[in-house]
Amino acid sequence: MSVEELTPAVDTPSVRKVPVGRTRVIGVIIVVIGLFSLIALGLNTSSRAHSALTFSPVDILTNAPWHLGTLTLLTFWTNVILGLIMIGVGLEVLWRQPRRGVMGRFGFISVLFLLALLFWAVRTPGPSQVSFIDLTSILVGSSEVTMVLIFGSLSGVMCERAGVVNIAIEGQFIAGAFVGASIASTTSNYFYAAIGGLVAGGIIGWILAFLAVRYRSDQIIVGVVLVTMLSGLSSYLNLQIFTPYPKLNTGNVLGNFAIPLLDKIPIIGPVFFNQSAFFYLMLLLIGGVSFALFKTRYGLHVRAVGEHPHAAATVGINVARVRYINVVLGGAIAGVGGVAFISQQGQFQPGITSGLGYIALAAMIFGRWRPSGAVVACVLFGMSVYLADNLQTYNIPISTEILTMFPYIITIFVVSGLVGRVRAPAADGLPYQAG
Amino acid sequence: MSDSVATVPDAIKPRRHLLHRIGSQDPIVVAALALVLGFIVGALIIITTTPAVLDAWRGIFHSWGAPGHALKVSFDNVGAAYRTMFTGSIVDPQGFWHSLTTGKGWDATLTPISETLTYATPLVIVSIGVGIAFQTGIFNIGANGQAVLGGIIGTAAGSMIHMPTVVHIPFTLLAGIAGGVISGAVPGVLKALTGAHEVIVTIMFNYVLYAFLLFAVLSTALQQPGQQNDISRTLDPSAQLAPIFGAKSGLRVSWGVLVAVAVVFFAWWLLDRSSLGFEFRVTGANPQAARASGMNARIIVIVVFLISGGLAGLAGVVQVASTTHYIDGVFLIGNAGIGFTAITVALLGRNRPMGIVWSSLLFAALGVGGRAMQATTGIPLDLATVIQSAVVLFVATPVLVKEIFRLRGAPSQSVELATKGWNS
Repeated sequence: MSVEELTPAVDTPSVRKVPVGRTRVIGVIIVVIGLFSLIALGLNTSSRAHSALTFSPVDILTNAPWHLGTLTLLTFWTNVILGLIMIGVGLEVLWRQPRRGVMGRFGFISVLFLLALLFWAVRTPGPSQVSFIDLTSILVGSSEVTMVLIFGSLSGVMCERAGVVNIAIEGQFIAGAFVGASIASTTSNYFYAAIGGLVAGGIIGWILAFLAVRYRSDQIIVGVVLVTMLSGLSSYLNLQIFTPYPKLNTGNVLGNFAIPLLDKIPIIGPVFFNQSAFFYLMLLLIGGVSFALFKTRYGLHVRAVGEHPHAAATVGINVARVRYINVVLGGAIAGVGGVAFISQQGQFQPGITSGLGYIALAAMIFGRWRPSGAVVACVLFGMSVYLADNLQTYNIPISTEILTMFPYIITIFVVSGLVGRVRAPAADGLPYQAG
Repeated sequence: MSDSVATVPDAIKPRRHLLHRIGSQDPIVVAALALVLGFIVGALIIITTTPAVLDAWRGIFHSWGAPGHALKVSFDNVGAAYRTMFTGSIVDPQGFWHSLTTGKGWDATLTPISETLTYATPLVIVSIGVGIAFQTGIFNIGANGQAVLGGIIGTAAGSMIHMPTVVHIPFTLLAGIAGGVISGAVPGVLKALTGAHEVIVTIMFNYVLYAFLLFAVLSTALQQPGQQNDISRTLDPSAQLAPIFGAKSGLRVSWGVLVAVAVVFFAWWLLDRSSLGFEFRVTGANPQAARASGMNARIIVIVVFLISGGLAGLAGVVQVASTTHYIDGVFLIGNAGIGFTAITVALLGRNRPMGIVWSSLLFAALGVGGRAMQATTGIPLDLATVIQSAVVLFVATPVLVKEIFRLRGAPSQSVELATKGWNS
């Protein structure tokens, strides 16, 4: 039995058993999505229409030797089958009421629904100008947002597993992006920029830890105010420094580093092996954070501190020290995330992070304070952010605003227990007082 | 707050000398010192980022007089910045003297204070809403979104429905309140029924409402006819809150001030005179005691969110009706949005109506003065946001202020509300 399963000492009212009704609600939701796909996206299309799916990114010329051709499908039958699969999964959930893996099924259904929607949107003859979906391009495009989100939510996991709420992820993004942009512009080297972002994010984390751990301030207030402060400060410095000295903010974008041979694999190659260095760093970090938190002695200490600091202190763990270390590390991770973000965007502008830090926070909650769950949530949310930004290209007939709302609404569902169940580390957000 | 319930009544306390009081942990003293610290932080930022000052410091090893010169340049720049902040937000003494002696130019003289009041009006309203929630131990980060929805529905009511002024203004304001109430109901009901943490729900719901704002101002119903941009219809003149001194004076301060005054009285009555307000404060100070004495925590949570959201919505519609008369796609959006400033204002004002009035006026003056500072000295107005946030960080950490100034007395935790963690 791992520490993570420890029952919290204080039996707060929100920690309850999952009522069976919730699984049923998910089942019903899945069935409704399935019916919608079946009827609106499947049966409703003309049986002559077909959709093309391509797998080679448009901007990469060197996709030989392994190259997948275009896959053309009959829209009608594809969507009917997809809809039936969804209904089937929904009925299975309703029938068997499984205790585990409900969220996994829900994620799977979201992906299927997205596919059905895309098939429907690009059907020819149809209203859309685009006659094919480039699956690889969508994945590569959304991987940029996803990467930044993963940095942010890993930062959240680091802090909150140790019992400190990190709402300031957005602030650490801003700090990292600002410092990263200036260092990358002056040195043309994103390695130094990453170091700068690491330090900047770490400092924000340290301020949070200093006020929250040492002075036991309200962590949520400190976090919110830090974000406000950094958004003001970055906008101030932008006018005060970047405007008179445009050389400090030239906006060079970091190129990709293709891993030989592996990047030639269709789909997987461009998505995983032809990315910027930050992407590989992120992959390492996912493994690193998961390993550190769940497989090492230190991780055990961290989780003990997050769940029950008094018990942890009794066995000789220095609660304040663990929290300091984790919050500073978490801040540093988010700071690097800010640099990763600016390495795609180039120039820094005030408000450029546009709430990504809060989506990362949402992803962490959606992923139940676990790195693996957070990654899944980030992929989902990254996809929806990317599609919301590129709706015109794919001519999807849902409004941008609704897609923009998606990550937030689903997080609200999750925290209110409508879909699945989440439980934060028991001492998350609670100041610790020795004795 | 705990001290309003549990401490000894003032009459029993031994009388203290003023000096003793200044050296102690009085909350007002802490707030004032936090303000001083905030301005010091602002000054340091000006010194370390203004090119002219940096040039002066670069030369300190070149001649004997250079360090003094650098110090002088630093003080001059900081002084000029803060001076224009004051004259731009409160009053310019020279202009005031000119108006007083010649009786002319009152409009120009009064413009800064009128701007500050205009800025402060919605801020007071929304901050009181946030403060009431704080007093109940509830953290409403969603005030910004609630104000946005209030603005949207208020604008719709004020621009798409036509009626005489006497009815139209109250109708528009009520529509704004309704918008706020609806958006406040979501986190309130979810918290009461499912235990969803209001901070997460309100943060997420803010972004849902921002997306809805964009949807609304681009919809055919609300969009300004003949426009492709994200601009809404303009409020009917009958729905606008007119300037108190007439449109000709150029002073923007509007009758919305009266709305704010009414809200302050309402909050005072609610918190200090009504039994509902008593239940709020008991719930905030000690939830167990509240439950033990038979108060229904769920109902209280919902009601608090309805009131808090309603006030935020009212603030949104007052903002529209008294200044721009229309909304656009970025109405109130951003981290410096009114609902976020309200959190800081409520904390500085210790969640009490009059405290909030003073701190709103202060923060409004900072914001308005920041604009004047940018226009005159070129120092960006965002410095005001930084100073505000710094002040609140210090207010939220009274022990730190105590240590910096070596104040006497036991540390008092001025902010002891949301320190309950995600699971509560």
